[in-house]
Formats: sequence, structure tokens, C-alpha cells
Amino acid sequence: MSKVKVSAGNKSGWKQDIHRNWPIYAMFLPCAIFLIVLCYIPMFGIVMAFEDFEVRKGFFGSTWVGWKNFIDLFSGGEFLSALRNTVCIALLKNTLGFVAPIVFAFLLSMLRSKKYKRTVQTFSYLPNFVAAVVVCSLMVEFFAKDGPITMLLTKLGAENQNWLANNKIPVFWILYVLMGIWQGIGWGSIMYVAAISTVNGDLHEAAAIDGASRLQRMVKITLPCIMPTIIMMFVTNIGLSFAAGYDSILLLYMPSTYNVADTVYTYTYRLAFGSGGANYGLSAASGLFQSVVGTALLLTSNYLSKKVSDGASLF
Amino acid sequence: MRKKKVDINDDNRISSMVEHPSVGDRIVDVIVIILCGLVGFCCLVPMWHVLMASISDGKTLLSHSGVAWLPQGKITLDGYSHIFKDSSVLTGYMNTIFYTVASTVLGFFISCTAGYAMSRRTKLQTVMILGVMFTLLFGGGMVPTYMVIRKLGWVGTRWALIVPGCTNAMFIIMMMNAFKAVPQEMYEAARIDGAGHFRTMSQIMLPQAMNLGSVIILNSVVGQWNAWLQASIYVPNNRKLWPLQLFIREITANNENFLQTSNPDYSRYLIRYAVIMAASLPIIILFPFFQDKLEKGVIAGGIKG
Repeated sequence: MSKVKVSAGNKSGWKQDIHRNWPIYAMFLPCAIFLIVLCYIPMFGIVMAFEDFEVRKGFFGSTWVGWKNFIDLFSGGEFLSALRNTVCIALLKNTLGFVAPIVFAFLLSMLRSKKYKRTVQTFSYLPNFVAAVVVCSLMVEFFAKDGPITMLLTKLGAENQNWLANNKIPVFWILYVLMGIWQGIGWGSIMYVAAISTVNGDLHEAAAIDGASRLQRMVKITLPCIMPTIIMMFVTNIGLSFAAGYDSILLLYMPSTYNVADTVYTYTYRLAFGSGGANYGLSAASGLFQSVVGTALLLTSNYLSKKVSDGASLF
Repeated sequence: MRKKKVDINDDNRISSMVEHPSVGDRIVDVIVIILCGLVGFCCLVPMWHVLMASISDGKTLLSHSGVAWLPQGKITLDGYSHIFKDSSVLTGYMNTIFYTVASTVLGFFISCTAGYAMSRRTKLQTVMILGVMFTLLFGGGMVPTYMVIRKLGWVGTRWALIVPGCTNAMFIIMMMNAFKAVPQEMYEAARIDGAGHFRTMSQIMLPQAMNLGSVIILNSVVGQWNAWLQASIYVPNNRKLWPLQLFIREITANNENFLQTSNPDYSRYLIRYAVIMAASLPIIILFPFFQDKLEKGVIAGGIKG
């Protein structure tokens, strides 16, 4: 895109810029107010994490307690188990949950019938549009003691039980990640299907003439060609893996499964808005910890992807 | 810098390439067809189950276990008549529609004006872009945001469900990219003809930018329609303001209470399925029409994001 200088360039002064462009700045105003009030002021609100926060006294009037909230967090077992669960669920999401849409995209690209492919795609997008509340209530129903999936598993030799009430270690993690895969497999594959479709057909033709099978071509040609996309998606996922995608747990867990289902996100939520009286300072500390780790992950993964492949990064 | 045209259905070239399918290829084909079918099937079954259950007979359904492949017992619409007699579900419906419309309109207005401002060359352009981008990177978190909204006096009011979630940095940046992609000549022509900035944006450039714009609108509508967390934080006790999703949560959690009465009305068992269908159908019916647009949005968001 050619950049024509219509507005004030660097050489002209501020006065002229304001004089010329004030309508533009005025148009940015709603957004500026929105961001300042709902994003930037809350950022200063993180001082809460260092206070014995009282609503009546506000951000800057409450008693300063330094690192006490963090010391409380890390000496309590609940936060530590929430942290462990978050890390484990994130790991599962970024391995199993990450590979699933890629495999699905490859399968789709190997279909010969365009109509069939389109139908499968439409069906696979469906779960992405179903509300979290509905998905979770279906989870509860299907994995209940007499639910369809439980019965299937019982037939296969598993113990008959309400799977979501199982508080042994990997059960809830796996269920949650599987639910995520079910919701996202179709929608997540869109990027990869698009990337696969831009792979140069000549490469495939040449390889086919040389006698490479379809499977070989998939691994040796398509996969390397879409690697930048895969890396970019991986970076995004890693970066978001600590911050996003845990709200559905609020609809699935119960006090008896807190030890395996609680995550930093849900723990933060429960401390502030749960039924057992609000501890805003502690909750803010937990939330701040989550934000900081999230930001660090995003920056690190972005930096790494810049190193690995030039250009395939977010910022 | 021209945008590479991405058409995700353009991969026929590869599959229609001249080849002599061997036996092995045929087997691979069959396996692929079965696996893809299986994924599609799994994605469809739960909602199919709900649909069939919602038009079943309550008592037969209660004694039935497993997936309802077909309506159980004789087909009834009792579940639906229950929910449309129930004023709370109707309230939820109206609230959801109101929140979705209000929030989307407000959000789109902010995204457009901000996206336009950020796409023009001004001295503060970089500052504005960085200011928006930074909010992607770091946030204050749940509790400080709650405290700010509380300070504004929005807790327990509709404002808390409309304003905070109406737009976000992703949408604003997508809108900026949409405006940047509009040919510069159109902008200049409009300006020379004396159109003000707002008019240039809304009447000349927005129609050109609507490709991405409509994607943002669709995403916002779906997101708002399905949202529940905001409401559970900001209006937990005021049932008059609840969106539909909170009623669904309540109904599906306590659906079997009616069995404790001496002469239970079994059709009440259908309510949970009927209400799920009533909430999901508008989106499920609409989305195939917008499928292509939404797909393009995912791709554009991923490349530019």
C-alpha cells in the first residue's frame, strides 16, 4: 500500500497537527475513554494485591500489607493445587488439544469429495457456537452415572461412576481437555485448512511423479509448508494458555473436586465472588500472579518464535 | 503490500491431480472418509440428542437411558409450551436480545471510530496503536476491573453487561486493518469533496471495510448471546436482569426437583431440553449462512493478530 502523506508529517509542528487532525483524535476519544476506564485504571488497581483491601476505603486508602497476600497464597495448599492443575491442563491443551485440529485439517484436505468435506466442516463448527452453559450441562448429563458416555465406558470395562465427581488425578483434566477438543476441533482447523490450500500444487505434482505416496507427500511437503502457521498458532496458544479458557470449569466443578479441578482463574473468581465471603486482596494477588505469568509467557513465546522462524510472530 | 488471497476451498487442485489410485490409496481414502465422518458425527450427536429429547414424552424419556436417537414416546411440544408460559424464560430471552443488540452496536461504533483514527497518519498514530495493543498484553484482572465498575455504580445494573464486553483490542485492531486496506484514493476524493472525517468514515470507507466489519459484528453477536460469566459476577441476585444463559444454568441444575412432588408432571422434565434448544437454535440456524464470512474472519484475525 502506498503511503501518501496527506496529514501532517514529522517535520510540521504539534500545533499544526492538532489543528489539522483534531477530528481524528476526537473520533478516538470513545475508545480512549473505554480503554482507560476499563483496562488502564484496573491496571493500577493491582495495588490491591498488596493491600488488606476494603471496598469502602478504595484502591489508595486501604492498609498496605506488602507481600503478605502473596505469602498467604503460596503457603496455602489450595492455591498450590490450583496452580498445579492449571499447569497440567495447559500442558494437555497445548499438546493433545493443539495437535487435534491439525490432524483434522490434514484429514479434511485428503478428502476427495468437496461436498462431503463441506458437510463435515459445517458439523464440526457447530460445537463452537453452542454456549458454554449448554456445553457444560451436556457434559454433566453425558458423564453422569447413567449418562450415555458413562455407560459406554462401563461396557468397555471402566467402573460405573459419575465421572465429573471423580477426584482422582488425571480424570478431570482429561475430561476438560476433551471437552475443549470437541468444542474447538472444527473451528481450530480453519487456519490449517487455509494454510494447506495455499501449498503450491506443483510441489505435490513433482513428488507424485517421483513416486511419493499421498502420506509421504503430506509429511514431506504439506507439513513443512504450513510449519509457519503451526508455529504461529502454537505461540498464540502458549501465550494464552494461562489466562484464557478456564471459565467453563466454574460450571463443571464442585467442592468435592476442587483439589483436581480448581485453577488459578477459578480460584481467583471464588475468592472474590464465591459464597464464602469475599477476600478481595487475596483474590487480586492471585489474579495479578496469573496476569504476570500470562504476559511473561506471551512475550517469551513470541520472542522464541521470532528466533525460530523469521517473521512468524505476533508483534 | 497486497493481501494474499486466501480461499480455503481451493485445494481441489491437489486432489484432482492426475494420479493412478493404487489399492493402498483407496484404503487410505476410505479410512479418511470414515475418520472425518466420525468427527462430524461426534460434533452433531449431543445437540441432536437435545433436539430429540425436547420433543419426546417426559415420562418415557425419564426412564430411557442413553442417547435419544429418535423422539421417545409420542412427540409432544409440552416442553416448549412450558417455557413460553414461564415468564422468567421470556424475561431472559428479552434481556439477551437487548444486551446483544446494545452491546454490539456500541462496540461496533467504538471499533469503527477508533479503527479509523488509528488508520490515519497523524502524530499520535503510533501512540494510539501501542495504547490499544498493550491491553492485549497485560490486564488488571478480574477483581480490580470489578472494583472500577463498582465505583462507576454499574454493579447490579444493565450497564455492567453492555459496556465492559462491547469491544476489545482485537476487534479494534481488525477494524484498523480494514480501514487501512481501503484504497487511499477513495479517502482523498471524499476529503477533497469536503466530507468531514466522520462522514468519510461512515459513508465512504465503511462500506468498503464491511467485509471484516461484518465478521466483527457476527463474533460480537455470538459472544454476547452465549455470555454468562459477566452476568453471574455483576447481577447475581437480580433475576429481572438475567440473560437467558443464567436461567439455563439454573434450570439444568435443578431440573429434577419436580419429581419430589406427590403427583409429578413429567412434561416438566422436558423443560431443560426445550430451553437449551430455544437458546441455541437462533445461532445454529443462522451460522451456516455466515460460515464463509466467519471462516475468513478467523484467517484474517490469525494473520494480522
